[in-house]
Amino acid sequence: MDAYLIAIGTIAGIYLLLALGLNLQFGLTGLINFGHVGFFCVGAYTSAILSTKGVPIPLSLAAAAALAMLAAWPLGIISIRLREDYFAIVTLGFSEVVRLVVTSEGWLTNGVQGIAGIPRIFRAGGGEAQAVLMLGLTLAFCLISIVAMMRIVRSPFGRMIEAIRDNEEAVRSLGKEPARFKMQVLLLGSMLAGISGALYAHYIGYISPDQFIPFVTFQVWMAIIMGGVGRISGTIAGVLILMFFLEGSRFLRDVAPFIPEVSMASIRLGVIGLALILFTIYRPQGLMGDFTKR
Amino acid sequence: MTSFVELLLSGITSGLIIGLAGLSVTLVFGIARFSNAATGDTMTLGAYGALMGTSLTGSLLAGGLIGLVAGALSAILAYLLVFRPLQNRSPISSLLASIGVAFFIRAVLGLVFGHDQMVFQMDLVRPFRLLGVRIQPNDLKFAGVAILTLALVFVVLHLTPIGRRMRAVADNPLLARVSGIAPRAVMFTLWAIAGAVAAVAGILLGMKTVVSPESGWDMLLPAFAAAVLGGIGHPVGAVLAGVIIGVAQELATPFVGFTYKIAISFLVLLLVLLVRPRGLFGKIEGVR
Repeated sequence: MDAYLIAIGTIAGIYLLLALGLNLQFGLTGLINFGHVGFFCVGAYTSAILSTKGVPIPLSLAAAAALAMLAAWPLGIISIRLREDYFAIVTLGFSEVVRLVVTSEGWLTNGVQGIAGIPRIFRAGGGEAQAVLMLGLTLAFCLISIVAMMRIVRSPFGRMIEAIRDNEEAVRSLGKEPARFKMQVLLLGSMLAGISGALYAHYIGYISPDQFIPFVTFQVWMAIIMGGVGRISGTIAGVLILMFFLEGSRFLRDVAPFIPEVSMASIRLGVIGLALILFTIYRPQGLMGDFTKR
Repeated sequence: MTSFVELLLSGITSGLIIGLAGLSVTLVFGIARFSNAATGDTMTLGAYGALMGTSLTGSLLAGGLIGLVAGALSAILAYLLVFRPLQNRSPISSLLASIGVAFFIRAVLGLVFGHDQMVFQMDLVRPFRLLGVRIQPNDLKFAGVAILTLALVFVVLHLTPIGRRMRAVADNPLLARVSGIAPRAVMFTLWAIAGAVAAVAGILLGMKTVVSPESGWDMLLPAFAAAVLGGIGHPVGAVLAGVIIGVAQELATPFVGFTYKIAISFLVLLLVLLVRPRGLFGKIEGVR
């Protein structure tokens, strides 16, 4: 298999895990998580720090998932009962503070220089075999998550969270407490983000604070909105569009090398911003969404 | 003791800047009813507008006014193109679109002006001492401009007919509508004021520190924290809360270090939401 396609597939899988978590939170439950990258960052740094200190990788992966959930828990306690945009602001602030912490606590995270030499998950065999195994592992995590999502959607729990999204007051009047379900959804989504971050750290091998900017969060937002909020097929389609866009902008640099990298970063930012605006106004149901609803 | 007073004074100045940004957030929230995440980048736009204006006209004052107009125009434009089409949908749509507006503004600024930090060419003024306390004359000027801006906004809100209409819409949009208040003029005035106030905050921040495409976005968290602490939708509250946050940031700096300044506003935000989600002056309804 082409090494390039394997690399793209792995990155797409990592984004897909992020997007599935956000789709569960926003698409199904209506939680406005603007700090998804914060949980991704917690997962990446946890697994990177532990594994460079010699902890076996399966354990460090589990720790990444657990710590991401642990970080989400107090945020949920404080803000999940409040109005939805308060939750958005709190999570956005959380992700910024996480970035501040990994930037300034150099004794733990090596500060702005970042952590290099993060061990790969598969060390046996040649480079290509390792890459294929990594792709397989990432896609396996995606597959498990997708199957879990599909079961959640059809379960009583799934009907409950969709009811919370559609009308929280009605749910409350039926004697159910929305906060409990929202908290569970928040934790599940954070767990996916934590695992995704850990896979990212081991795959790239080098992490630094500037990889965990809010822009990442909103790339994922754009993916799920483009694809179709609340639909798993839409999430997958959205991630593919996002990858196409990110890789396409890399190729554009190869074709037009006179565009400096900082300008390219600005162009990416502008395109994502414009897409967020246009989709929210003209196609809030996304490309794959229900055509009859708005 | 004197260093405490110096930190306090510096905190009041940066707090007034945060308060201006928080005022912009809270005005939009009170009348257009969503949290505007583009506030920070409107600040940046104002600062770049003022930089350009200053180099064109050679005067800081004229440059500042140009920046202010640029901020107001960009806010009106964002209203016309983005927020008006969304006004009958959930506030979440507008919040999400405002992130898009923020990114778009920052992208354009980054493309036009590059990513290097820029500074305002200001005369270096020697600080003077009053009772042993070192006072930066520039800080006094910034505080003066901030207070003047605040005074102007409150004059518009409380002493003019359009201000009365704005407050009526903030209080009860339906009642305002049936009383014959046309929403159009109110919304245009709101966005002009919100954009101009954000621009002034951005210009003052740029004069106090540096201007870069990211500088406004970094102020978003303190601005939101000020709006929430003051009681969202409450203008006086936002300004007071901004000053409280600014002072808290400066006083905490010797203990937690310079980098954790923004974390202080996050802490304030969490504490307010935990203890008193409606803020200092907020109404009880509509928070939970």
